[in-house]
Amino acid sequence: MEAVAKADPRAIALPIIYTPDPVIGMSPDTLYKKLLEGNDPETGRPVIDEILDVLTKPQKKKKNGSKPSTEPAFPKEIKPDTEDNLQQAFYNRGWTDGLPIILPTEERVQKMLTGTKHSPDEEVGQAYDHDHHEIIKYTVRDIAVAAVMAGAKPEYFPVILTIASMRQSSIVPSTTAFGSMILVNGPIRNELKMNSGIAAFSPINQANSVIGRAWTLMSICWGYARIKRTLWSSQGCNELYNNMCIAENEERSPWTPFHVDKGYKPEESVISLFRGWAMVNSIGCAANRPLHEELSRQYTAIPPLGSRATIVMDPLVARNLKDNEGFETKMDYCRHLSENIRIKAEDYWKTDHIDMLVSSEAARGVEPFATWKALPDDALFAPFHMPENINLIVVGGETSPLWKASEYGYSGSASVDKWRV
Amino acid sequence: MAKEVLFSVVSPEAERDKLAPDEPPPGFPGPAGAFRFDPGSITYAERLDTLDNKTIYLVDIGFGGGYNFMLEVQRWFNDHMPSVTTIPRKKPGHVFSDDNNELWEEVKEKGDAVILGVAG
Repeated sequence: MEAVAKADPRAIALPIIYTPDPVIGMSPDTLYKKLLEGNDPETGRPVIDEILDVLTKPQKKKKNGSKPSTEPAFPKEIKPDTEDNLQQAFYNRGWTDGLPIILPTEERVQKMLTGTKHSPDEEVGQAYDHDHHEIIKYTVRDIAVAAVMAGAKPEYFPVILTIASMRQSSIVPSTTAFGSMILVNGPIRNELKMNSGIAAFSPINQANSVIGRAWTLMSICWGYARIKRTLWSSQGCNELYNNMCIAENEERSPWTPFHVDKGYKPEESVISLFRGWAMVNSIGCAANRPLHEELSRQYTAIPPLGSRATIVMDPLVARNLKDNEGFETKMDYCRHLSENIRIKAEDYWKTDHIDMLVSSEAARGVEPFATWKALPDDALFAPFHMPENINLIVVGGETSPLWKASEYGYSGSASVDKWRV
Repeated sequence: MAKEVLFSVVSPEAERDKLAPDEPPPGFPGPAGAFRFDPGSITYAERLDTLDNKTIYLVDIGFGGGYNFMLEVQRWFNDHMPSVTTIPRKKPGHVFSDDNNELWEEVKEKGDAVILGVAG
């Protein structure tokens, strides 16, 4: 972490002391004996001695430093070589996910560019490289290169350009394990033969796999995957291989498609992005309890931030809710979930990310958090106070009434059609 | 033995510009200059000659485990430097931002020093 602090002008001036391990989850005696009386890994001196020194001895101003480069120096130009050597060269430069890529030859990139009417030099968006404090301006051609590498066909290219235009990385520079999800709605789903039915989340469909992978490859090429420079996730997240790229099963859903819920026309093709930590499969079905009771148990383990949740349900589940339970619209059911998903106050407040990000709101008196904070530990309350923040998506092949529950939040939609030929 | 084919490939790296000093990075909300800072503008508070009979605020910024760590810092001072008064506090406001809140005014008025932490 010292390397990061030295390179960040906002941190460079501060006297920073490091404990041997992160403090979270440690017993009081471990905090005292091992982390406070133990040694700062940067200096080899006891942490408490360093604290006393900082309080009582003059501090020298640190100089702006640059992080020591851990990247091998490669020549900027990539010379013609054999396929095997180039595959390795791309991997060595940190441009791939480790799986083989399709080499982006000029011919292949030109062919990819036929998938859009936009100029190759048009800027699609910008990303920020935290490592070098640089703005990356990526063009249609740059995204075509990533699309070729991922294995895309030119007809997939408008979808990939749309994702790029949303200016979000699939990989998040956090020590936690963020995942991302792509949802495709509208006519392009079927034009590309995307899978919205049986095993839509499984690695069996070319368009789902490749479009999702392209997002991660472009994120890698924007610099979001440099270990201990921009990538800090202690365990990482293997959903990022293809970002759970799926299409909604609009034909079998009894409700309006997701993009229509967001204000788009049914005939528009639209990308929606989601981000979060936990996507939990239902182990079986709601055989002995109503779905909201099953979800209450799942959300006890993954309580929502800001009432955000994304629930992906099989058409069997959705149709049962509409045809037999009377929920005419998605919002009808979201309101029902908002009122009926209930978890214990203790389970909510003792969850790390809730304590870290919501407790301060409660302390400031922001409602409903202040009221929730005052509840007895065993009091049940409804943590989804904003039903509009619950996203319902219908995906699946109707072989079993399954669902996936997540605390993933919705991070925006964009129309594909402007990028089409 | 067949000769291997040589490929010419295109780099996936896009054009880069250094961040303008007064602009937040693309995609990041925030005031101008939020990601730029002149470390030379920092001035340090005068150090204490001794901690005896002084008051130290132990301010937890909100990351998990931080408050419990501060309680152990307090226990250490009680064990080893009992003349020091320690006041553990949780920083109000969001964990990732300085909310310029009343706590800092209280620290200035009543405290002699602050230990601030602990980042995740």
